[in-house]
Amino acid sequence: MVKSTSKDAHALFHSLRSAYAATPTNLKIIDLYVVFSVFTALIQVVYMAIVGSFPFNSFLSGVLSCIGTAVLAVCLRIQVNKENKEFKDLPPERAFADFVLCNLVLHLVIMNFLG
Amino acid sequence: MSKLLIFLTLIPLLPILTTSFSPENPSSRRVLVLLDDLALKSSHSVFFNSLQSRGFDLDFKLADDPKIGLHRYGQYLYDALILFCPTTERFGGSIDLAAILDFVDSGHDLIIAADSNASDLIREIATESGVDFDEDPAALVIDHISYAVSNTEGDHTLIASDEYIKSDVILGSKKIEAPVLFQGIGHSLNPSNSLVLKVLSASPSAYSSNPKSKLSNPPSLTGSAISLVSIVQARNNARILISGSLSMFSNRFFRSEVQKAGSPTKHEKSGNEQFLTELSKWVFHERGHLKAMNVRHHKAGEADEPTIYRVNDDLEYSVEIYEWSGTSWEPYVADDVQVQFYMMSPYVLKNLSTDKKGSYFTAFKVPDVYGVFQFKVEYRRLGYTSLSLSKQIPVRPFKHNEYERFIPAAYPYYGAAFSMMTGFFIFTAVHLYSK
Repeated sequence: MVKSTSKDAHALFHSLRSAYAATPTNLKIIDLYVVFSVFTALIQVVYMAIVGSFPFNSFLSGVLSCIGTAVLAVCLRIQVNKENKEFKDLPPERAFADFVLCNLVLHLVIMNFLG
Repeated sequence: MSKLLIFLTLIPLLPILTTSFSPENPSSRRVLVLLDDLALKSSHSVFFNSLQSRGFDLDFKLADDPKIGLHRYGQYLYDALILFCPTTERFGGSIDLAAILDFVDSGHDLIIAADSNASDLIREIATESGVDFDEDPAALVIDHISYAVSNTEGDHTLIASDEYIKSDVILGSKKIEAPVLFQGIGHSLNPSNSLVLKVLSASPSAYSSNPKSKLSNPPSLTGSAISLVSIVQARNNARILISGSLSMFSNRFFRSEVQKAGSPTKHEKSGNEQFLTELSKWVFHERGHLKAMNVRHHKAGEADEPTIYRVNDDLEYSVEIYEWSGTSWEPYVADDVQVQFYMMSPYVLKNLSTDKKGSYFTAFKVPDVYGVFQFKVEYRRLGYTSLSLSKQIPVRPFKHNEYERFIPAAYPYYGAAFSMMTGFFIFTAVHLYSK
């Protein structure tokens, strides 16, 4: 049982990679964008832990702009995914327009809060 | 025409002609002295002469004179009242208990000397001032230990006391060497009155009783609880002196030599003159009367007084305090004057430092709290008139554009926010053109 665990994990990882290879390119680009956002947020949290929370509003706006961007990108990914039947009536152009509008509002707020 | 000219030249002189009690000149000037008997004028002349030589205008009247009155046309005619009339049951003219209390309530000074057989009227005035004389009319203060030695053995009612209040402002800075002679009735302080003080108290061996009768019951007043001379400073800074003995003001007691029983030293002259002269200086506001002026505050490095402060401003506060010396305002020097920066409770409490010329100053930082604050100086010290200053000043928070910007520590956050924006543009381009 113990011996088979690493083998199972390897098999699981392998199947996951081969399944992800079938994902359309535009969704892969969105995934890359999400990973970039979350990684930037993590860097800021580590930086805050080292330096201290003094310009707290700046920290919050920096981290929230990353998190917000990631959330909006995930929403876009759900809506433009062809396999997702829930949004089959929603054209991808409309989904992208929503994404752009939300990003504008988000960054307007972030600029005001950055200090 | 010439009459008009004289009148016009006299008008500017009016403030000089009227040397009456005023905030600028707080000593009493016109004093009404009510006597039982005009013979007191000569038998107590040393005391009266010392007052007159200090510039007081004494008006001697018999207590039952029908023409006496304290005020006329709504103006007080006198600045102070001396009651040397212990047996008077009713004053003449318009003076009664209520008139005397009104006189004190409007800030005027009062000296009461009672004696054994003091009348109910004098007792009532004393009671209203916060002291209670022994109820037995024939009672005298008796002390078989610290009496004044005299040629005849006597009944030990002439006592020599040196238990003074420890206060330079009330009794003067010069130590009173000889004991004070006292012969009269004792009183106790009303414990509910916090303004009345014992200036001269009896020794622990004293008691108050009728010396002619046998002591059947324990005396009601005993020991150092008996006050011989008391003072009151009312909240309006009116001052009252209450003495249980009229004879302690007399020339005979002033000039008498004194030896306290059990003490080997014999003093050529009793301490009465020095004690009562110094005490009368205090009562008539020649000492211990403070005034504060020129309260100023401004931001550090500026000279003008702002209408509002911002949180965390550095400010400087200064005030000038002077003491009336009887003839002029002298700088008051003390190291215990404090200023409070007060909103519901003091946020800042600082000792003021002085330049010994009457000016007090300090500097502090406005706390990081906004609201309506007050600069408060509450100065109450034994023997001094109370100072109570307050000046209101609002404190505002930072304006939106007064916050710190471009903090070096926040550059990574700025960078993250802007990289997210450029990331958005790049992603948009890539997303639209990748097909």
